[in-house]
Amino acid sequence: MKLLTHNLLSSHVPGLRPGGGFPLKIELGHPSELPPEPLPDYEANEEFLRRLHHVLLEVEVLEGSLQCPDSGRRFPISRGVPNMLLTEEEA
Amino acid sequence: MEHEATQLEKQHVHSVYENTAAYFSDLQTKAWPRVRNFLLEQKPGSLVVDIGCGTGKYLSVNTQVYNLGCDYCEGLVEIARRKGDEVLVCDNLNLPFRDQCFNAVISIGVIHHFSTKQRRIKAIKEMARILTPGGQIMIYVWAMEQKNRRFEKQDVFVPWNKALCSRRFSESNQSGDKGEFVHSAKGQDIHPAQLVISECSYQNNLQPETDSKHSRDVDHCLPRACCMKISEEENRFYSALGRSFRSWFFSRSLDEAALRKQSDKMKHLKHEGVWANNTVPIQHSRHCSLDLGHPGALLNEQGLDDDDDVFVESLSLKKPQWSPATDALKDLSLNGEHQSVAQSKGDKASFINGPVEDRDHTCGCNKDGAGKSDASKFFKRTSTTDSTDSALDSAVSVGDQTDAVLDTKAFMRYYHVFREGELCSLVEENVPELQILSSCYDHGNWCIIAERRG
Repeated sequence: MKLLTHNLLSSHVPGLRPGGGFPLKIELGHPSELPPEPLPDYEANEEFLRRLHHVLLEVEVLEGSLQCPDSGRRFPISRGVPNMLLTEEEA
Repeated sequence: MEHEATQLEKQHVHSVYENTAAYFSDLQTKAWPRVRNFLLEQKPGSLVVDIGCGTGKYLSVNTQVYNLGCDYCEGLVEIARRKGDEVLVCDNLNLPFRDQCFNAVISIGVIHHFSTKQRRIKAIKEMARILTPGGQIMIYVWAMEQKNRRFEKQDVFVPWNKALCSRRFSESNQSGDKGEFVHSAKGQDIHPAQLVISECSYQNNLQPETDSKHSRDVDHCLPRACCMKISEEENRFYSALGRSFRSWFFSRSLDEAALRKQSDKMKHLKHEGVWANNTVPIQHSRHCSLDLGHPGALLNEQGLDDDDDVFVESLSLKKPQWSPATDALKDLSLNGEHQSVAQSKGDKASFINGPVEDRDHTCGCNKDGAGKSDASKFFKRTSTTDSTDSALDSAVSVGDQTDAVLDTKAFMRYYHVFREGELCSLVEENVPELQILSSCYDHGNWCIIAERRG
């Protein structure tokens, strides 16, 4: 799973507050080489853009999970594929 | 109804794809040109998602956009993953995506697997939700109106056969790797009644009033063999094999069942119960039974014990009459002859004219009573006149009709085939956030492109 994909994902566990379920927390220890906040004028900052591109599109989560920030529900990622299915009871 | 719907889909969509996924890696199915074009028209840098991506056929068409695929079936998603696609497993009815984040969505051969109208609507609404205003969606669904025949009803089971999966297909008639293959009975332990029973028991789950012993009675089982949709490419393939086996099974419509439940509660229709579908398909001039000279005789026969078993005679083609896919939906007139292959191995097909003579054999409910041989009559094998090859002939034992029927592992896939205009109406009436830009008929499918308003 690329981090750009992660940007698009949201927990869809029923009953969340409006706007809830995002962002899913990636659980694994991989430090990112990005600053915590985008620098001003980042569009022009080649170095930053390169790093951003790398993190978004070239880093993949292979094993781990995505945790809903509101419900705590974990969605597993295995072999690079997140499984976002809810059980019949949950849905 | 929700539970029945999920159960039906679980059994006749999800588990079929899971169980057959392994075979799909060998298949090389081409992308539909129209879909390709739709994808190629997206601006570079767009976020595009294929909902129901299967093995990821469309995920590498346009490398200038960000392609994401998702599917309910883990097995298929794995295959896509191995190809290097960005994929995930999820449910079309509950997409794990934020609102309005995609520039384009494609849904190719997916929503026809949903067994109720409400679910189909929900699927479309979910896809509309994730589209950014101005973003576009393309939806393809299997059409009821086919080139040389017409599905008699909209809710069908289509068998799948792994025998042909190792073959290379140049194109599939549907995006998903539908693979309606000729059935090989070789080496299989086939008990047609078992297949029939499995459907009956499903049926019985939904009709607690039904006498359970009926489940073992072939008479009361679901409809039998009909025609299978075959694309040009597959037809060439079949011609090469020398045999074309076309069959599909009619499912009861859950939508109708829901309606009937309300209106017919007191009316007991034997074993049909909530499943009964007394509506008789309207016979129009192109209907096969008319062509066969017996206007609606077979299909309109109210005398059938199981009136829901709308049996359509297998249709033959004298020779493949496949017009180019781009033709408008042409005359659906059918070759009047009905062929059945019960006879001999390697022989050319024998011809039986007219459905009436075969009625006893071909009625979904056989009045002869339960039994292997009766069930086997339900499954008509057909042959093109150019029967030459014996590849499949060998799979069909001479005179052993029971082996000629479907494998119990035949994996029946459920489809709700769409009538002309149905998809458009569905969107217009229920998904106001989408505006239809265009619609067409393509390769046996109804296709629409719609845009997210706002």
